[in-house]
Amino acid sequence: MWVGWGLVGPSLLLFALVYLYPIVYSVWVSVYDWDLATPARWAGLRNYRELWSPEFREVIGNTVGYSVGVVVLSQALGLVLALALNDRTRLSALFQASVFSSYVVSWVAVSLLWVWLLDPQYGLVAYLLSLVRLPAVNWLGDHRIALVTLVLVTVWKTVGYPLVIYLAGLQAIPGDLYEAAALDGAGDWQRFRHVTWPLLTPTTLFLLITLTIASFQGFDIVRIMTQGGPVTATMIYVYYIYEQAFQYFKLGKASAAVVVFFALIIALTLAQWLLFRRRLEYTA
Amino acid sequence: MRRMVALVLTVGLVWLGAPAAAQAPITAEFWYSFGGKNREVTEAHIKKFNESQSKYRIEGTFQGDYFQALAKIRAAAATKTAPAVFHVIGEAMPQLWQQGLFENLEPYAKGPNGTNVDDFLPGQTQHTYFDYLGKPPAPLFALPFFRSTPILYYNAEMLQAKGLKPPATWDELKDAAAKLTVREGNEIKVYGFEVPVDWWFWFALLHEAGGSLLTPDGKKAAFREKGTEALQFWVDLVNRDRTMKRPPGKDYSAWEVANTDFINQRVAMIYTSTAFLNYMTENAKFKFGTAFLPGKAKQAVPTGGTFFVVARDAPAPQKEAGWAFIKWMTEPAQTISLSKATGYMPIRTSAVNSPEMQDFYKQNPNYKTAIDQLRTAQRFPFSPGLIEIQREVIQPNLEAAVLGIKTSAEIMQAAEAKTNDILSKY
Repeated sequence: MWVGWGLVGPSLLLFALVYLYPIVYSVWVSVYDWDLATPARWAGLRNYRELWSPEFREVIGNTVGYSVGVVVLSQALGLVLALALNDRTRLSALFQASVFSSYVVSWVAVSLLWVWLLDPQYGLVAYLLSLVRLPAVNWLGDHRIALVTLVLVTVWKTVGYPLVIYLAGLQAIPGDLYEAAALDGAGDWQRFRHVTWPLLTPTTLFLLITLTIASFQGFDIVRIMTQGGPVTATMIYVYYIYEQAFQYFKLGKASAAVVVFFALIIALTLAQWLLFRRRLEYTA
Repeated sequence: MRRMVALVLTVGLVWLGAPAAAQAPITAEFWYSFGGKNREVTEAHIKKFNESQSKYRIEGTFQGDYFQALAKIRAAAATKTAPAVFHVIGEAMPQLWQQGLFENLEPYAKGPNGTNVDDFLPGQTQHTYFDYLGKPPAPLFALPFFRSTPILYYNAEMLQAKGLKPPATWDELKDAAAKLTVREGNEIKVYGFEVPVDWWFWFALLHEAGGSLLTPDGKKAAFREKGTEALQFWVDLVNRDRTMKRPPGKDYSAWEVANTDFINQRVAMIYTSTAFLNYMTENAKFKFGTAFLPGKAKQAVPTGGTFFVVARDAPAPQKEAGWAFIKWMTEPAQTISLSKATGYMPIRTSAVNSPEMQDFYKQNPNYKTAIDQLRTAQRFPFSPGLIEIQREVIQPNLEAAVLGIKTSAEIMQAAEAKTNDILSKY
């Protein structure tokens, strides 16, 4: 038995150091007022009370909106692309590679690229719109659509991931099921609805959870493209934490936000798991 | 025999090594926040300082913009690894001084390697930057580094084509912007005016309207009425007249957009810092001029840029090195070369009056505008709440008025309440 502990020990230690310690430390700091430069002062639950403000509610709203947009759009688009590219041709392989390539490039590079492409005066997108006589859109400067713009850029960057996962899911479905369905007279749509979609539910659930968690962690794109603006239109959760901690030096409040975030993500993951668990179907 | 040789060699090496060890220069770190051209200028001067003497060695590190650097300095201060010397914006100094981050520089200034503090240009120094609110002034803890004022940059060719002279009042600015805006159908090809919707320029407008930030004792906000007037001026120009472009982006991203638009002749007039004068001169392919900011009740500008400070918690030899460096950087010869290479103002009266600078100003009149404008410079209240008021209360909320999300009156009212909250802590 000691051998077991000994073997797991180093990993456990690393896990404790890298994951547990920061979480515990965040909870510790969240009950203090600390600005980095001067000693921390006890604050009790005041940071949590202060956290619950109209601005914070807007941040949560933005984060949920961003997340729903990214998850739904990238999963749907990923699935459509996977269905279209689910053959072994060279052309498909080329498409798969090009769609996935944006996923592996750095967020900073992609964000900078799109800032320039979307510039309403100098950008390529504005130029293309002018060619078809459409008015230029202030993608990042209009507070009504800035968040939508970020969702679209995120989907562009990350759709390769659900594409690849769905392709794997599709290829795990045995071909005989399709043959049997065709023999029974099922058309394309019915084959999808009764064979493909049900057998993809584990994949869909997996993607739902991982994409939601990933989209909640969005930061780089906001940091580079809008810095939370215009005003607070694109202020999402992680950027809010960053702003409280490193622009306003309110580490207590930022840590309270971190603790709340942690609780929210755990609750969300649990909810998704429980909700969809019953719908999982596997091949016989 | 062998033992003799070994002994002689050892003694010889130690004898040679000892003076070398005694002569190792004292190293100190200097964190700075200039990118681009001004970064090159800063690095060149650090190198020059190191080469000019062998007692101290300064290592410069670029740390991002002023606010990013401030975050890093606080983090470093928490772990007692702050660089010996760095520079900060004036608004941050009262709070950081109160928190004990700065070394008192008066003993250094008066000491053997001291400096003539009377030769600093009025309006540039710590004591003329701040209004000490009726309390005794804080001791000297900051020397001026790169100091600036906002100025009006105008495309001389565009103005001349419309027979306009640079505006001197808000009304003239409004008129000129309207005449200079070029529209093509529903699209605006050239804006008449652009300015980052930023604390610094709002502060100028506030004072130009005849207002002030805080009450003379620094205990309450005083900016509500005139601050609204200032903000509303922009709101009208952007939304009603549609002659002003609001550059998108937060903090210095917006400043970059304004500069780029000016260089690309997408805007006829902008407000920005004199610090970009050299950059503009090198990149503008057209004739441009600079002028005072237009006034209303009066002409008024804030000063800006940064001050050198020395970290109180750094080890004594490093502080000595830091002082030697900033003393050298603020000497007349250096301030002349720094100013000519950037557009920031020279900080010494002797430098401004020197034949070299007088000649330079004759050849490059644009560089003189900021210096002349110093006579309208406004002081900042020496309150630890100042940086919070700037960063949390005013700066993030100005945009909302220009975007039409809230009215200027609402924003200034909320700002007043929040400011009084902050001030009640001190």
